[in-house]
Amino acid sequence: MRAIARLVYSYFTSTPLTRALSVGGLVLCAASLLVLTSLPQSEHMLAVAYAGLLAFFLGSAFMPLMVGKLSRGHAARLLPHGRVKLLVSMMLTVALVALPAGLLTPFAYVAGVSGKWSDLQRNPQLLDFTINLGWVIFTSSCILAGWLYLAMYFITSQRNVAGFAKGLLVVVIIIVVPTREVNDLSATTSSNLLKLAVAWLVFGGLYLVWPRLKGAMANWRIPGLPFFGASSRTSGREVDLILGTANPWVYIAAQVVPVFIATFTGLASAAIWLYFLAIMSAVTGAVSGQAAERSRALWLRSGWSRAELFAQVEKSFWRHNSFMLGVLLLLMVGMGSYSGFPTSLLAAGLPLLILGTVLSTYLGLMITRGLGWTESLLGISIMLALMAVPLLLQAQNPNLVLVAAIEFKLLLLSLVLRIWARRRWTHIDWTQCRPSRVASARNA
Amino acid sequence: MSDPAVQASHLGKAFGTRQVLDDLSFEVAPGDVIGVLGKNGAGKTTLLELMLGFTPPTAGTVSVFGQASQQLSAGNKARVGFVPQQDELIDQLSVADQLKVIASFYPHWDGEFIDRLCGEWGVNPAARIKSLSVGERQKLSILLAFGHRPELLVLDEPVASLDPMARRQFLEQLVEASMDGNSSVIFSSHIVSDIERLANRIWILKDARLAWQGDLDSLKECVVRLHIRGGAETLEAMAISGELSRRRDGDFMTVVLRDFTPAMQADLRGRHGVDVEVESLGLEEIFLELHR
Amino acid sequence: MFILNPQSGIPIYRQLLEQVRRMVASGQLAPGAELPSVRELALKHAVNPMTVSKAYSLLEAEGLLERNRGRPMTVASRVRNTSQLSRRIEQIQPLVEQTVLAAKQLELSETELVKTVRKNWEDEDE
Repeated sequence: MRAIARLVYSYFTSTPLTRALSVGGLVLCAASLLVLTSLPQSEHMLAVAYAGLLAFFLGSAFMPLMVGKLSRGHAARLLPHGRVKLLVSMMLTVALVALPAGLLTPFAYVAGVSGKWSDLQRNPQLLDFTINLGWVIFTSSCILAGWLYLAMYFITSQRNVAGFAKGLLVVVIIIVVPTREVNDLSATTSSNLLKLAVAWLVFGGLYLVWPRLKGAMANWRIPGLPFFGASSRTSGREVDLILGTANPWVYIAAQVVPVFIATFTGLASAAIWLYFLAIMSAVTGAVSGQAAERSRALWLRSGWSRAELFAQVEKSFWRHNSFMLGVLLLLMVGMGSYSGFPTSLLAAGLPLLILGTVLSTYLGLMITRGLGWTESLLGISIMLALMAVPLLLQAQNPNLVLVAAIEFKLLLLSLVLRIWARRRWTHIDWTQCRPSRVASARNA
Repeated sequence: MSDPAVQASHLGKAFGTRQVLDDLSFEVAPGDVIGVLGKNGAGKTTLLELMLGFTPPTAGTVSVFGQASQQLSAGNKARVGFVPQQDELIDQLSVADQLKVIASFYPHWDGEFIDRLCGEWGVNPAARIKSLSVGERQKLSILLAFGHRPELLVLDEPVASLDPMARRQFLEQLVEASMDGNSSVIFSSHIVSDIERLANRIWILKDARLAWQGDLDSLKECVVRLHIRGGAETLEAMAISGELSRRRDGDFMTVVLRDFTPAMQADLRGRHGVDVEVESLGLEEIFLELHR
Repeated sequence: MFILNPQSGIPIYRQLLEQVRRMVASGQLAPGAELPSVRELALKHAVNPMTVSKAYSLLEAEGLLERNRGRPMTVASRVRNTSQLSRRIEQIQPLVEQTVLAAKQLELSETELVKTVRKNWEDEDE
């Protein structure tokens, strides 16, 4: 028991930043609770509540990473009741994170209908409804939290922009699918509990037997299937192998699957679907974020100058990304026509995807001194621009001129980024790229 | 004789068609300090992992405190400590937090002891693990295995990244730990001098088998280099049992023997009429000769 | 007090054995003198305490050391005088053998060797 408590405490207080977020989040939730019970509801209070919930969740964002590290190592096998306690700590964290949402909702609802608690006591039906609402939100939040932790796992365990983008993708998908149910009020406590039970039983079961499973599988060795013990080999140019761009098909598969899911789970809006694709074109290029760290080995092995090195690296990434871009474009045209999306959307979408790839590639190549403020701000602005275009195209009579103007500006930006990246590479200082990160990311 | 801490019988492990360990049988008595030597890839890590149940054997059995390694109870797990080759620390946490997390799993954790060692070894409890150097990380990994005062301590290359002073402090700690005569230590290391100081038994892994398992003192007394002087033909014709290698230069020859007994010196002198000098070898020399 | 070399081909316990024997024989360790405890010696030289115990036990069996309950080992109060001379000669035997062998290798005669030894002896006295 002590171990579980200690683990959960550590998830919320791992770094000073997460500790501040957890405490701050709780404080905000408590404050909004007080306000909701005394003052009439205002939009601002709800915003505070949401902020508190988000902060509290983010405070525990390292939980999947920590659990992963402990589970994969020898610790989980040797710590007394190690895996069981880790599993319970995960479940407890999910419940804790969902708890404020479940507690706050009844009060928000009551405040929203401008009622008082005294009214509830006189109206048992309303009381029941409110309490039930609290349970529904609590269980829905548990489900949501589980998915969000999965997204967090991707984001935190792959220390590069590609992992970040993949995590973001998971977030987008889950916001669309599960929360739709909440909006439709079609979820009930029992259906949620059933989903939770099934999900945690499957996950928990797999988690607990995983070591024995892995041990048994290692003795099977089916040749050719990389998962079963044999290491997969890639062949290619030395440049590509060192930079990690030798095998684009894995990345392509990782992108195609979400697109199919998105199309067929009934994303009614063409704009959101295009937004998906735009994000994915950005992920495509984001792999280049690691280029600077990895190029150190290239530099040592070849006789290239820094300028030549940049040219070679650029070429390698285009060899990799052109495949993915091609596949994305085909998907867009193909599935777009199949779903009957307007031609203007598709026409504007083509350059958008290309721009997404180009911009993120060069932004990634610019990361020669770690992820700093400049790169982050640029990244956010590019994302916002990529989001803006589909939104604009959503209108009845889309403002194509504005869209074209934005795309043109993005084109100019991509040229600027290329020049900037090339200049940075002629001054690249590998001790600032922290190459040890690459090694530790591989071991993580 | 009390029960052995670890016992293995015809233990074997194969990965696909590659036989990494073959037909190993051994016992670790309480109080033993065992040094495991072997070339890279000889299977030292695999052996240690098999011992503690991290991976199932493909042949034979191995048990710890009388219980099969794959089915160690929680109580027995609390009596074992392990230091892996690659550290498994959580970068986001501070040193103190990492210690507290691991400590919470064990019913008996000696907090004062660990605090004192942190001070002596120069590990700052407030530091973030991300910011530690490789040596400090290794020290922390060792501390994490010491805290619950295990009766069986298994270490896989625990000091590879430590400077000589840190290594000496670690050795002193092992000496303290083995003072009660109840705790057993098994450690694999390339730093032969450390093993020479501390181990009372040596296991040498070669070609998937234990080429030697026995006392270090006996090893040093059995594997010796003979310096023989005599007529060239006599030397050439000499057949010595247990010979590992020989080198002859004119009427001077050196022979490395595996199973030397003091009587052999007089015997060779008498039988062949040659001059025999015995040179005893340090552990590193012995290792090299066994692998020649 | 002792010089132990773990890297030597001579096992540590044997090194300790021989050093204690030599020191007792030469009088450096007088009867009743206290030896360092097992723990002290093991920690100081960073060696396995069982090695030290082994040496001490063997010395006790030889009659050279005495075990006192609760206190460190001491040199036996009644170290037999009669065996002292032969013991001392036994101690120096290996060195003499080495010197004789070296002299033979260098093709020195017995007289020349004895002359060198005498000269060294006299120089040491000064």
